[in-house]
Amino acid sequence: MLVTWKYRPRNTFIQSLDPRTRLIYMLCIIFALTLPDIWDYRIILPLFLISLTLYLLAKIEWKDVKRVWIFISIFLFFIIGLNGILSGRGGPDSVTNIPSPILFEIPIKIPFTDIGWDVPITVSKTWFAVNQIMRMLTMAILAIPIPYTMDPNIYGTAFRRMGASDKISFTMDLAFRFLPTFGRDFTITMDAQRARGYEIEKLKGGIPEKIRKLAPFIIPVVMQSTVTGEEVIDAMDLRAFGTAPRTWLKQLTYAPRDYFILGLGFAIFVTCCVLKWGFGFGGFFVPEFFSNWILGL
Amino acid sequence: MNDKSTWEFGTRQVVYGAIGAALYGVLSLATNYFPLPAAGNVTFRPAVAVLIFFGVAYGPWVGLLAGFIGNTLGDAAMGWGFYWNWSLGNGLMGLVAGLAMAVVKDFRAQSDIIKAVGWGIGGIAVGMLFASVTEKFIGGLDWNTALVGYFTPAFIGNTVVTAILLPILMIAFAAVASRRGR
Repeated sequence: MLVTWKYRPRNTFIQSLDPRTRLIYMLCIIFALTLPDIWDYRIILPLFLISLTLYLLAKIEWKDVKRVWIFISIFLFFIIGLNGILSGRGGPDSVTNIPSPILFEIPIKIPFTDIGWDVPITVSKTWFAVNQIMRMLTMAILAIPIPYTMDPNIYGTAFRRMGASDKISFTMDLAFRFLPTFGRDFTITMDAQRARGYEIEKLKGGIPEKIRKLAPFIIPVVMQSTVTGEEVIDAMDLRAFGTAPRTWLKQLTYAPRDYFILGLGFAIFVTCCVLKWGFGFGGFFVPEFFSNWILGL
Repeated sequence: MNDKSTWEFGTRQVVYGAIGAALYGVLSLATNYFPLPAAGNVTFRPAVAVLIFFGVAYGPWVGLLAGFIGNTLGDAAMGWGFYWNWSLGNGLMGLVAGLAMAVVKDFRAQSDIIKAVGWGIGGIAVGMLFASVTEKFIGGLDWNTALVGYFTPAFIGNTVVTAILLPILMIAFAAVASRRGR
């Protein structure tokens, strides 16, 4: 198994940003939408457009992210969207509490019986589903480009400069370096076991038996890694690891564009909190244009 | 459980945290390469048993780091993105399992293996509950979807894998450790 990173250097605005900026901005948006519980499309839509712009600025090729988008689309439209339309739950109480015109009813019955009930699909639930999808997309499209546009070698340094301790950051850095090695070890083990007639693709038996039969594949690599670990510990101890603060090879510095994005992120977070908690603005409601449009269909 | 060795955070924890994370990430990737048994929406990830094992063998810090970083690594290598709440949920899974370090002395003894599996299942419950409940607030899911759609399948799948693979890993580790002498 060849472990390859999705990252490729691209000459884009997104990759010119400091990795800390992108992580902090993403957290600002997540907390801006979730902490004050924002459900107003007048706030969500502009944030969605900003997120979409940043995503497009990353210039990731469609073929690279096609599989991820298919998965996310299924998740958003069939799980989140359908759940929102059918139940209207998960968001504020006003989705199901406010009187709303019924568009149609979906009969949900136990097959071959009359036992069941009709689920009313209201204007309010439909708008809630649209809002919910847009709200989740606003956050997801900030997370998706990270593996494609952030150098794996910079994660450790980024977390260190964000305030994590040397030891935690070093663990992260070391883990990224170990990954391709263990990927290679797994391939060697799999080939060795195949040579002995172990066919991992054709495991027979029930679920517990199949899981148990994975052991000849997993155990050798895990045990070998524990032995490797002792050697690494010895090497690090001999170099006095952990006795004094470390210096890091890669240096990160904020540029004016980073301050702009960070300022934007903090401003969005503070504005959402003030609007919701200070002025009671940002809750769920169904806009008139949507009611008129959907009822006119 | 509050003794120094359980909560120690030195070179050993740094190295095994990184190794556990890399193995967790690689094994998560490996599940794409061979068909794993699944029932309904319950998927079985052998990587979880490895994470719990690292927690039990090397303590809560190793479990926390291996789970948090390993999940981030797996998502990064597969190109899914960075989902902090699921990474932290996986970290908590390893951390709680790592508390078993204080009570598990002999990796070959049946009673100690049962204790380790018990702590592992406790870790799975805490970690997956954290991730599912935060998903409720972040994604705006209802309790039913968060608990039945997210938590229950993850809990069942991870528990089955841990109950089967963790004892095998512990016995193999005991043999390796006795040969190595430390």
